[in-house]
Amino acid sequence: MTTAEILSQAREEKRTVLTEIEAKQILGEAGINCTRTVLAASREEAVSISEEIGYPVVLKVSSVDITHKSDSGGVKVNLPDKAAVEKAYDEIMTSCRAYAPGADIEGVSVQGMAKAGIEIIMGMIRDASFGPVVMFGLGGVLVEVLKDVSFRIVPIDNNDAVDMTSEIQGKKLLEGYRGQESADVPCLQEMLVKLSDFVNDTPGIEEIDMNPVFAYSDGAVVVDARIILSSERVNF
Amino acid sequence: MMELFFKPKSVAVIGASGTPGKLGYVIVKNIVDSDFAGEVYPVNPKSDEILGYKVYRSVTEIPGEVDLVVTALPTPKLTVATMQECANKGVKAVIIESAGFAEMGGEGVSFQQQIVDIAKKNDIRVMGPNCSGIVSRNIVTSIYPMTKKVPNGNVVLIGQSGLLAAGMASDIVENESLAVNKVCSIGNKCDVNENDLLEYFGNEDEVEVISMYLETVTDGRNLTRIAKKVAAQKPVIFLSGGRTEAGAKAAMSHTGSIASNAKIVEAAVKQTGMIMADDFTELKDFAKVFSTQPLPKGNRIAVITLAGSVGVNVSDLCAGHGLELPKMTPETTEKLKDMFDTPVSNPVDLYFSVTKIGFTKTLENTFYDAFSDPNIDAAVIILAGFEYTQEAVQKKIIQKIVRDVDKPVVVCMIVGYNRYKNVIMDELGKDLPVFPSLISGVKALSKLCEYGIRQQKLSA
Repeated sequence: MTTAEILSQAREEKRTVLTEIEAKQILGEAGINCTRTVLAASREEAVSISEEIGYPVVLKVSSVDITHKSDSGGVKVNLPDKAAVEKAYDEIMTSCRAYAPGADIEGVSVQGMAKAGIEIIMGMIRDASFGPVVMFGLGGVLVEVLKDVSFRIVPIDNNDAVDMTSEIQGKKLLEGYRGQESADVPCLQEMLVKLSDFVNDTPGIEEIDMNPVFAYSDGAVVVDARIILSSERVNF
Repeated sequence: MMELFFKPKSVAVIGASGTPGKLGYVIVKNIVDSDFAGEVYPVNPKSDEILGYKVYRSVTEIPGEVDLVVTALPTPKLTVATMQECANKGVKAVIIESAGFAEMGGEGVSFQQQIVDIAKKNDIRVMGPNCSGIVSRNIVTSIYPMTKKVPNGNVVLIGQSGLLAAGMASDIVENESLAVNKVCSIGNKCDVNENDLLEYFGNEDEVEVISMYLETVTDGRNLTRIAKKVAAQKPVIFLSGGRTEAGAKAAMSHTGSIASNAKIVEAAVKQTGMIMADDFTELKDFAKVFSTQPLPKGNRIAVITLAGSVGVNVSDLCAGHGLELPKMTPETTEKLKDMFDTPVSNPVDLYFSVTKIGFTKTLENTFYDAFSDPNIDAAVIILAGFEYTQEAVQKKIIQKIVRDVDKPVVVCMIVGYNRYKNVIMDELGKDLPVFPSLISGVKALSKLCEYGIRQQKLSA
């Protein structure tokens, strides 16, 4: 589905929360590299998609009613083979049905297991006065404890993106601290500009999280994404 | 449209009074005492003459056209009625100074809405309510009595609070401490807001520095757009109240839970190239530095002192504010070798030179040469309150050297005899930015350097 189709379908269903698959589809269309994520509506489908994507894979529950996927036992990572995928599928269904009885569960999303990189968070929020604002920071524990992030008002240009990545306290970690792999910072800057362009051109988006983004010395990929739409009706 | 506020050909004061001390009197008196050369129409149903001007019963009775109306009426209800009369008269610009509107909540909100409705319907621009309007050479609508003429300077101050803006204006004009061009208080901003003024003053050539205090940002997206354009041409100093760390709203995303009003405002300031002030004194002090000093090409500072210990403290402060203290070139070092007991370093300690050739000659030679060094972009001059310092200030020796070298300086005064120190602060303070502490001077200079470097990049 295209971005416009996903957004109008969500509107029709009176949803403001998009599924991870929808969010990644939209971000992908905006030119932002996301891990390949495909919906599987059955155990058999989960296996065939896993084989197509290639092991190891990640399975995540896909339901508009379950926003806390980990808390519900709806996430299984690093699944090496067919048996593991089948077992994970069943466990996710059992656990999530118990966690949220009556939830509309469309299946699981099957994703390639991205190799670990430097954890980055990017996001967007709509401020009542300043309008859409984009954020960049180091992900994981650093964002939670230190809130080491930078913001800019949309639209941003490449210079703004350069300022955003150089402004954070932990920028040394991007340069490959103590022999760690460095991050492809120009690629991250390009992603920020694309995120800004997308929200600038697309009304009705309230919040976006791209968390985590794994940054490598060559490129970066969005591993998990979330998009929240504005609750008021917006004409696309 | 904004021209009608700042360059009206005729002005009516509604709620004018003949009783000295009353607000309606002060406003008329301020207009009369300014250089305003157009028609003045006091309006009051119960008076015939105020300060020699014929008084009209209502705005509709005024025979000629009215460019600008200033109202200072006792109740919001009367103000709304007057607003309708202004619409009937065809007035296009109104300054509402009275309080009792949205800032009060309740009924006040609906009175303000009625004002906005009348304004929209009739294409009227409204400044206020709850403001003190404009202080300028051309026209003064403020409620503080002005004791001197407003200088035709190069600085505009924009504030929300009427009392504060008017009070600051009155102080600045009285003390001649800042070359203001205009002070505007926009109060509740029911129509005219910071964006209108920023855009207007951005295009006014005589305005070289804009200093702005906001309690709330009306339209941040537009502010970002306009400020980016204006700050590329002239410095915009910005102080924002109500900056909180609390999340902007109940957010569903991680991003939303981290985003706070303070962080977003800070981002906008960085993104646009505005200069963030942290209090009202800085709003004024930074404006002083930017309006009197040329822009530095870099952040390489000479610290000029007569006491080593002070120099050390300033060096530390400079480092903390992103300023560098480079060495002088070999040429300067050689030239000044007889003026120092050890080769000239930075901080430049003038003590030896003063004991050898006296204070004035030290300024004219030693200081001049060090400040002129090509490695130096700007200077922090630390003066002490002594008789010879006062003499140098009164003979304008320091001022002249600074002008000749044509690099920016800030002066810090921290010690000395009070009777000299106060004179030096006041007299030198009219020509150069003088600070009563080291940290305030260093911080102001760091802002100037930051802006100077940004401008270099923009023009590169």
